[in-house]
Amino acid sequence: MNADLSRRHPAGREENPLPLPFAERELPAGRHRFHKERLMAQIHEDLRAADAHPGMTAPAPARTARPRRLFLNRAFLVPAAAFALAGALAAGFLTYVDRGAADGRGSTIATGPAMTTRIGTADDGKGTPQLLDRISLAAASTGGGAKVRADQFIYIGSKTATTYVKSTGDKNTLVSEELHMRHQWNSPDGRDGWLIEPGNTGPKGMTLGGKNEKGETPTPYLNAPSYDYLAGLPTDPDVLLKKIYEETRGMGRAPDQEAFTTIGDLLRSSYPPAELTAALYKTAAKIPGVVVVDDAVDAAGRHGIAVARLDETSGQREEWIFDRQTLTYLGERVVQVQGEAGEGGLIKPGTVVATTAVMTRTVVDRMKEIPPSAG
Amino acid sequence: MRTRVRSGDPDAYAELFDSYSRTLYNHAFRMTGDWAVAEDVMSAAFMEAWRLRGTVDPEGGSLRPWLLGITTNLARNHCRSNRRFRAAAAAAAAAAASASVPDHAEEVAGRLDDRQQIAATLAQLSALRGPEREVLLLCLCEGLEYAEAARVLGIPVGTVRSRLSRARTKLRKLADAELKKNRREPAARSRQTYDDRAKTVRSAQEGI
Repeated sequence: MNADLSRRHPAGREENPLPLPFAERELPAGRHRFHKERLMAQIHEDLRAADAHPGMTAPAPARTARPRRLFLNRAFLVPAAAFALAGALAAGFLTYVDRGAADGRGSTIATGPAMTTRIGTADDGKGTPQLLDRISLAAASTGGGAKVRADQFIYIGSKTATTYVKSTGDKNTLVSEELHMRHQWNSPDGRDGWLIEPGNTGPKGMTLGGKNEKGETPTPYLNAPSYDYLAGLPTDPDVLLKKIYEETRGMGRAPDQEAFTTIGDLLRSSYPPAELTAALYKTAAKIPGVVVVDDAVDAAGRHGIAVARLDETSGQREEWIFDRQTLTYLGERVVQVQGEAGEGGLIKPGTVVATTAVMTRTVVDRMKEIPPSAG
Repeated sequence: MRTRVRSGDPDAYAELFDSYSRTLYNHAFRMTGDWAVAEDVMSAAFMEAWRLRGTVDPEGGSLRPWLLGITTNLARNHCRSNRRFRAAAAAAAAAAASASVPDHAEEVAGRLDDRQQIAATLAQLSALRGPEREVLLLCLCEGLEYAEAARVLGIPVGTVRSRLSRARTKLRKLADAELKKNRREPAARSRQTYDDRAKTVRSAQEGI
């Protein structure tokens, strides 16, 4: 409405015969994200196809090859939307389903027979505080932990696989993914990030940044922390423990297990300052039911001693694995130790439900830069 | 941004989507008069923008006009006949009218007026020919310059000017006719909606 504008539109707005501006509307709830994911799935599918057939890399300048799929029939859109709205699926998974549908096999990760292991022997929990104290001291004294500038990225490279019940027709079988590398980059403020993981993203990966479907930048919290968020957490174990219990209230099946899992997630998939890592170990020592397991092996085949807790409702034990000599964190696994779980009780004792070995944690200058130490 | 879009950078498209999906959705609605169709057109427009990435000129300003052009073309394919647009406008008007039962709650009044306003605009737009409607929406509603509108529609600037001028004349005549018809009413509502919407509705209801 300023002079500049009316000069650009010589006729002037006061002469506008329409009752403009028109009342605008937002997209219905969840549809922004739904359509954005469809677009991104299409883009990644095309890029992958272009990689496979380098002769076709040039984007088609005119409407030629691709059949026009401009107006998708609503029979497809509506159930798919319900799918997206259910919110049960992570963004990456939806993308992955789309791609799977487009080109059939080849886009999924290879699976094999379910992973099994020898179940380690747990102590009665009396040795736990002492071991965690030593682990905490080791973490603090190595001076580890990230020192990261705002324009840098935290890189975590890990080797991982999970086990799940696969349904083919009416037949259920227990399978494990093949062990694969997961590369993850996060900016310290958590607003930008990138993930490359077979089965979860295409070979080029996907962004972890951006806004949610409401157009808001997600706020970091305990279960989705940024480096900056972690650096601001209290390092007094009692205060930290209270905060963890408060923020995870009502989540999971039991408060103690939920607190243990929350700390486990932080140890595995973040790279906080050394003071916080040390504090997390001291905090874990205060959770009831935490035991020491004499032997456990990580996804890279490294044996070590484990700090663990049994989830009584599922019969699965989460084990944090440490090098026996240096007490460095190696990785984490979840093992079925008692009873059966999964569909049809297919997960028997001795099954490795999930396993991760952290190979590299470091600071890099650019996203998608894989440090030389992470082969 | 243009270079990134040309080179097929997925992040660039994620940003474009976040920035412009709302604009394209609303533009597509004004082109078609149907929110569900508008959603499909918006989604298809981004797919098309991805496919056409190689045609983007590396030099230039915002990609908004380009996206609006794609949306316009897709919406035109859908609304090939003006009859369809008129039907949508009539349906919107009927929906707004049926909803306008007397109600004194402020926020309800505001909401009703949104619908009535949309219906009124659609009714006016349906008096235009399709090509006139396109330039009117692009130039007046979305604020594109004549040259930008000409480029994205693939027509000469002179044609944009003449279509716009015809559209204005038609709408002015329509508004005048409306004024005469409603002389007894407090004011022409189509003009008053520039101001506080809730007030407009209240005074109109008091006048009845």
